[in-house]
Amino acid sequence: MITRARASALIIPLAILFAGPSPAAEDAALLKDLTSVIMLLGMPCGQVVSATRRGENDHIASCKDGSRYRVFVSAEGRAVAEKQKNRP
Amino acid sequence: MMPAVRTIGILILALTAGCAGLKEAPPSESDGAAKTAPSTVKGSAKSSASPVAKKEPPLDVAALKTRLRDTQAIGVFTKLALKNQMDDLLEQFREYHQSGQKTGVASLRQPYDMLVLKVLSLVQDGDPSLARTISGSREAIWGILADKAKFNSVT
Repeated sequence: MITRARASALIIPLAILFAGPSPAAEDAALLKDLTSVIMLLGMPCGQVVSATRRGENDHIASCKDGSRYRVFVSAEGRAVAEKQKNRP
Repeated sequence: MMPAVRTIGILILALTAGCAGLKEAPPSESDGAAKTAPSTVKGSAKSSASPVAKKEPPLDVAALKTRLRDTQAIGVFTKLALKNQMDDLLEQFREYHQSGQKTGVASLRQPYDMLVLKVLSLVQDGDPSLARTISGSREAIWGILADKAKFNSVT
């Protein structure tokens, strides 16, 4: 019985630990999503390496090739990737 | 003591696997067809008893839309961009059918194929079952889009 109790004591915290996706996993999913949408809209990027959230469904995506895009949902409900001027 | 350690190990493994985003793929249409004996034809399929119809299950457009909407293989922005491009293509088909032309639908085949390829490339890694269903439905979907009566009944 003691062993079972110990097992439960281990399992419950582990279940809590693994219950939801980690922030890192969410970030990876977002970067993949941004990479896909930029590709789908025919913009050169390669791969999105980082992203900054500007607001609801509004991100600045930085690509491996150095280009940056504002990816957002327009008022008309379209996914838009808008090329940003690179910082000097 | 050792069995307890082993039990904990197995439970941790099961927990990790369960939380790793593994999702049981919904049974594809082809899976369902494989399980169904060829002699058991139900419902509307009775009328189309050709050999081709037996191999290819009828296309369920609503189910396909739901699966595309619910798949975890692609993110929200990508889904929206795909939806926008699908709507644009549907608009081109609508204009074609409204124009009353009898020829010219072939010009829409290339954009249609391009869009299907884009969808396949996006879902094939994350949702291979959905990719197989889309790939297998390609000609059936084209058949609906290219035919005015079928197109009007679906849209």
